[in-house]
Amino acid sequence: MSHTATHEAHSGGGTKEIIKVTIILSVLTIVELILGFWMMGITEPGFRLAIKGTIVILMMAKAFYIVAYFMHLKHEVKNLIMTICVPLFLFVWFITAFLYDGNSFKTLRNRYDKHFKEQSTIKVPAKAEGHSEKKSAE
Amino acid sequence: MSNEAVLHDNHSHEHAHHDTFITKYVFSQDHKMIAKQFLITGMIWAVLGGFMSVLFRLQLGYPDSSFPWMEDLLGKWAKGGHITPEAYYALVTTHGTVLVFFVLTAGLSGTFANFLIPLQIGARDMASPFMNMLSYWFFFAASIIMMSSFFVQTGPFSGGWTAYPPLSALGDASPGSKSGMDLWIISMALFVVSSLLGGLNYIATILNMRTKGMSMTRLPLTIWALFFTAVLGVLSFPVLLSGFILLIFDRNFGTSFYLSDIFVNGVGALPNEGGSAILFQHLFWFLGHPEVYIILLPAMGMVSEILSVNSRKPIFGYMAMIGSLFAIAILAFLVWAHHMFVTGLNPFLGSVFVLLTLLIAVPSAIKVFNWLTTLWRGNIRFTPGMLFAIGFVSLFISGGLTGIWLGNSALDIHLHDTYFVVAHFHIVMGVASMFGMFAGIYHWFPKMYGKYLNNTLGYIHFWVTIAGAYMIFWPMHYEGLAGMPRRYYDFSIWESFKQFQDLNRFISVVSIMVFAVQLLFLFNFFYSIFKGRKVTTLNPWKSNTLEWTTPINPGHGNWVGEIPEVYRWPYDYGKDGVDFTPQTTPVGEEESQH
Amino acid sequence: MSTTTTATTTNLWGGGKSPFNVEYGKLMMWYFLMSDAFTFGAFLISYGTIRFSTNGWPDPNEVFRSFPFAAEGVHAPLVFVSVMTFILIISSVTMVLAVQAGQNMDKKAVVRNLILTIIGGIAFLSCQAWEWNHLFHEGAWWGRNPFMNADGTASSTNFTNYFFTITGFHGFHVFSGVIINIIMLIMTLADKFEQRGHYLMIEKAGLYWHFVDLVWVFVFTCFYLI
Repeated sequence: MSHTATHEAHSGGGTKEIIKVTIILSVLTIVELILGFWMMGITEPGFRLAIKGTIVILMMAKAFYIVAYFMHLKHEVKNLIMTICVPLFLFVWFITAFLYDGNSFKTLRNRYDKHFKEQSTIKVPAKAEGHSEKKSAE
Repeated sequence: MSNEAVLHDNHSHEHAHHDTFITKYVFSQDHKMIAKQFLITGMIWAVLGGFMSVLFRLQLGYPDSSFPWMEDLLGKWAKGGHITPEAYYALVTTHGTVLVFFVLTAGLSGTFANFLIPLQIGARDMASPFMNMLSYWFFFAASIIMMSSFFVQTGPFSGGWTAYPPLSALGDASPGSKSGMDLWIISMALFVVSSLLGGLNYIATILNMRTKGMSMTRLPLTIWALFFTAVLGVLSFPVLLSGFILLIFDRNFGTSFYLSDIFVNGVGALPNEGGSAILFQHLFWFLGHPEVYIILLPAMGMVSEILSVNSRKPIFGYMAMIGSLFAIAILAFLVWAHHMFVTGLNPFLGSVFVLLTLLIAVPSAIKVFNWLTTLWRGNIRFTPGMLFAIGFVSLFISGGLTGIWLGNSALDIHLHDTYFVVAHFHIVMGVASMFGMFAGIYHWFPKMYGKYLNNTLGYIHFWVTIAGAYMIFWPMHYEGLAGMPRRYYDFSIWESFKQFQDLNRFISVVSIMVFAVQLLFLFNFFYSIFKGRKVTTLNPWKSNTLEWTTPINPGHGNWVGEIPEVYRWPYDYGKDGVDFTPQTTPVGEEESQH
Repeated sequence: MSTTTTATTTNLWGGGKSPFNVEYGKLMMWYFLMSDAFTFGAFLISYGTIRFSTNGWPDPNEVFRSFPFAAEGVHAPLVFVSVMTFILIISSVTMVLAVQAGQNMDKKAVVRNLILTIIGGIAFLSCQAWEWNHLFHEGAWWGRNPFMNADGTASSTNFTNYFFTITGFHGFHVFSGVIINIIMLIMTLADKFEQRGHYLMIEKAGLYWHFVDLVWVFVFTCFYLI
């Protein structure tokens, strides 16, 4: 349990690496924000979807840098990396199935629930004061 | 960093000297004592849960008779000796919750993971004995709170163990939906914490604390099974926790995560809108399906070990067994929506879930055939533990086959929520895991208490239980195929179900007999702890694994002196004409390779 | 069979030591974080599911557009939340520095960086408190949603329900992270780690803190950007 052994096992890139990763994270965040601002002016659904997709990819990149460098996972033994990363693939089916069924539920309700369909076509006047009052009555 | 074992060594010796009653029997950090605590708490719950089933079976078998003793026992819940519908639902719900979570999760993997992991991998104790103790006491608190829900004015929660909204989300939906459900959620949240603390400990212990030479491919299959069980628990229980947190908000803070527009006659429309009740079912079954394997895998592991030891033969297909455990663990996470085919789930998505569900048949079949080939031409010793292990295989086959029916979404439309489902999951998950638990208790009782259980009582226990289990659940398949729905209070008012009245009575009578035999087992258990035949040899079953190298009544720290080193896998039975070769025997020069 | 397979794998797995060369506490912390990832995952996926099953959804830029001390009607979308994001990233950086200082047995640097991290955590919590308070005064709370959908139709309360639940749960994690860091600071000042000869506890606290930062990456994207 000597200290030097501990240190050697975890030797990463040191302070230089930390600075590098900080800069990368900041840049990625700024790009995300720029995309966010840009998206405000765009109404075309397909284009918006493409920007949202890009933001999600950037998000994954940020997550990678935090886990790999800040949490030091990249400098651990390969098997440890595997035991942590492999179970995360469960999220693929977790997300796919949930969102797919959520979307299907919307279609179902729009087809059979007249009230639900109607609600989503009525515009709320002005700042939706009445709406909030109705809710607060709860 | 590699010196954990040494650190623990000092630590445990230090403790052995000044054990008071409290630190030895109550707030013990010894994994063996914690295992016994889990076991006995689980047994208390099993008796209560079993007794509940007797009560509602009496209602189903004899809807017209009255039992005055019931009124003495349950008071207003059984007016005139007749169980009320509210009490009936509360009993069904609590029976499910208690047996699934408290008995077959905490009672089974809590007991055997705690007991067997350090002993079989060659460790002094768990990685963190303190967390291990906390795990039990969280479970204990969960038990107390669940128990206390019987004593509130409106009774325990009565909306089914799956706690679907709106019955669980609206406090006025049923008598137990208000305070009963509050206690239910708190109890389950504590239970999740307990299983998380336990699971993390099991994983870290198995990975980090194996003795010298105990590589992963030399682990007994029990340990592999308990390892995957812990992984399943650690990854799936948090999803249930999230689901419950959202449910708490729906109940107390006016949100509508699970509630869409609801119109109540006499009250008008509730303010909720926009939620989805199916979402809760998704979240629940994302845990709920892995939960089935959390229950089943430990039993599978113990049965593999016991079959091999008592057939005096190596387990057939050791690597295939590990592979199939792994496959089952992965698939367990991918198939949850097969519980939801008739909820309004997207039919296309449903068909994907059918495919994934049917895939489970492959690893399950591998395991079954490996067990059978392990038995094949074995020199079988029919100890009670072995009989229960064989019984497990039998039940797993008969219950598993009906799973293939239910996994088909088209068939499931007819069979969903009928007694066919009740029969299926009771056989494959309930009774089969119970059998695994009994097998484990009979097999490891000498190690736990240094005494043997009485064999004659064990044989009676086994034969009555297996015959009874089939007599109870086999007829339910026919009732289910005829469309008899589950969870109904009284079937006698339907012309079409009247033909099953005699059958229902038969099932009820048998279930009372089976319950009585479990009491016989309890007697055997507690009698043998004090008055049983003493174990005189270190290795009564002539087994290869490490737990039999410890003293007959091991203290905290398990081994006196050095932990033995391991040189071989645990299944060298009958190798080169030698009956058994313990793991601690070095590999000889002349020895054949297997 | 077993003998041949073990011969090929490295002796890391041979027993008697950790196959990952980490102590059990760190291993447990990693698997606890996995578990917690599924808790947050389940929350965010539920949010996604509800959003996918609803016809309209409010535009985050209309909801989160205020800034402290700015005039009431100011329209500054994304600005405040970017400040919060950067606070959390910087506090994560100071935490890495604390962990690194711990590996070098540099007590002074550990103390300095831990204090900076704690300040970052408290700053983040204060920002969140301001934002919650501001939204509350606009009429938003659990079960109440004053905002309308981007297309001008009535919005479901689930927008605010999920916002408060998930950011609340994340805030709770930040809060417990700050508490853990304060405990670490006290233990460092009391020379607990010097006596032990290693600062491994700080590494575990660091893992937790980075996880909190990691979760914010997802929460930030899901609620404020898309």
